[in-house]
Amino acid sequence: MNVINVTSKNRQEAIEKIIALGGEGIVRCIQCGACASVCPLARTGFTLNCKKLIRLIQTGHWEEMIEDPSTWACVACNRCTEVCPRDVKPSEIIFAYRRFQAMELAISTSATMSQMNLYMKGHAVFSEAAQLRQKVGLPPLPPTTLSDEKALKEVQTLLENSPMAELGLF
Amino acid sequence: MEKIGLFLGCNIPLKAPDIEQSIRKVFPALGVEIVDLVGASCCPAWGTAPSFDIDTWLALSIRNIVLAEEQGVDLMTGCNSCFGVLSEAKHLVDHHPEKRKVVEQKLALIEKQYKGTAQVYHVMHVLYKEIGLDRIAEKVKYTLKQLRVAVQTGCHLLWPSEVMQVKEQNPFYPTMLKELCEALGADAPHYSKLESCCGMGAMRSTDQEKSLSLAKEKLLCMKEEIDPDMIVTTCSSCYLQFDGAQKIFRDRGEIDFSIPVFYYTQLLALCMGFDPSEVAALSQTPREEIISRIQSKARMVKED
Repeated sequence: MNVINVTSKNRQEAIEKIIALGGEGIVRCIQCGACASVCPLARTGFTLNCKKLIRLIQTGHWEEMIEDPSTWACVACNRCTEVCPRDVKPSEIIFAYRRFQAMELAISTSATMSQMNLYMKGHAVFSEAAQLRQKVGLPPLPPTTLSDEKALKEVQTLLENSPMAELGLF
Repeated sequence: MEKIGLFLGCNIPLKAPDIEQSIRKVFPALGVEIVDLVGASCCPAWGTAPSFDIDTWLALSIRNIVLAEEQGVDLMTGCNSCFGVLSEAKHLVDHHPEKRKVVEQKLALIEKQYKGTAQVYHVMHVLYKEIGLDRIAEKVKYTLKQLRVAVQTGCHLLWPSEVMQVKEQNPFYPTMLKELCEALGADAPHYSKLESCCGMGAMRSTDQEKSLSLAKEKLLCMKEEIDPDMIVTTCSSCYLQFDGAQKIFRDRGEIDFSIPVFYYTQLLALCMGFDPSEVAALSQTPREEIISRIQSKARMVKED
């Protein structure tokens, strides 16, 4: 029989992991639901939202949600963090869980492209814009990493000296 | 404030450079010089470093803020996502000495130093707080009298208010953008989904239909409740969503109307008499008609 058996050890581990990834507020959550009442993910019916994700982690589930893309739809609007009466900062828990997913490469193709763009161009959102820019009277390249090799090298150095470099995304 | 560093981000310079041009036109005309933050990168976007590793995120964000510090100016961005990412990064680093230490070590790799002297502002904050409604109203050449706008502030300008230098009295009933539009002569009435999310950003790239459903709900709410002549936003992502999504809905036969969309500084630039072929030239939802109505003799309140 396929049964997930959750023990207090699982619960402890899941909470420790989310705290290490930046979600320390999880210990204060009493599941009041204020966050979900203002969450765009809840409104549009994603499988997970801040409140649900927190409950699953609090009850010791950690790897079960790894392939769920809901966390990646979070727009980081921070309504949840604004209204939370317990200072849980639910958006930080969503992002902490994303960091677990990301470092296991449980990410979408579009997210993969952004990391490559960030490393190669210094811009996560990149498209050739010279024509558009000139049309409105601007120089073909903006004064960013796109026109400054030394600056791009600095960004690459920071990325190369990061755990992200071990993932083979750039 | 005599000058300020302009942080461009990605969407504005690469997808909507007419917004960049409108920012570059209006600020000097209002007495604030724009300084380029040469060599700035992506903020970095929520879906990149902040979703992988906190310290990498903080180092990349703080590097961008340091570029302003080095020139002795504060930083201003027109992109809400950049504003959120940079504000949160600065707040984290300034309130957690252990994070600051890690960031300083990372910045040492590229011979940069963080002092913490530059503040992070959004374009809307500088217009509202530093320049002020009166100075803006004085510069209006074409009034928006008897035109109705639906305002869309954008999430990252509102929450979490804890990390922001300039705050709305109640971020769930924001008023700054409304007042900025009223300074141009427009009516900016309340509508019931005023503060709701447009669905852009991460939701759009994860589930397009769910994202569009939020945009449509909000559009229909605006149309039914206040029937606006245009949508005015201070968020480049909301701008792209409302401009682009309307085309999708029209192509699918889901809506039978078209509401022009402007980023606030585009509208301000038009009211100040700047050339629309530079400051409001790129959109999927047509704007020509409303632009010629705005820049018409009948609306002129001031000669050159």
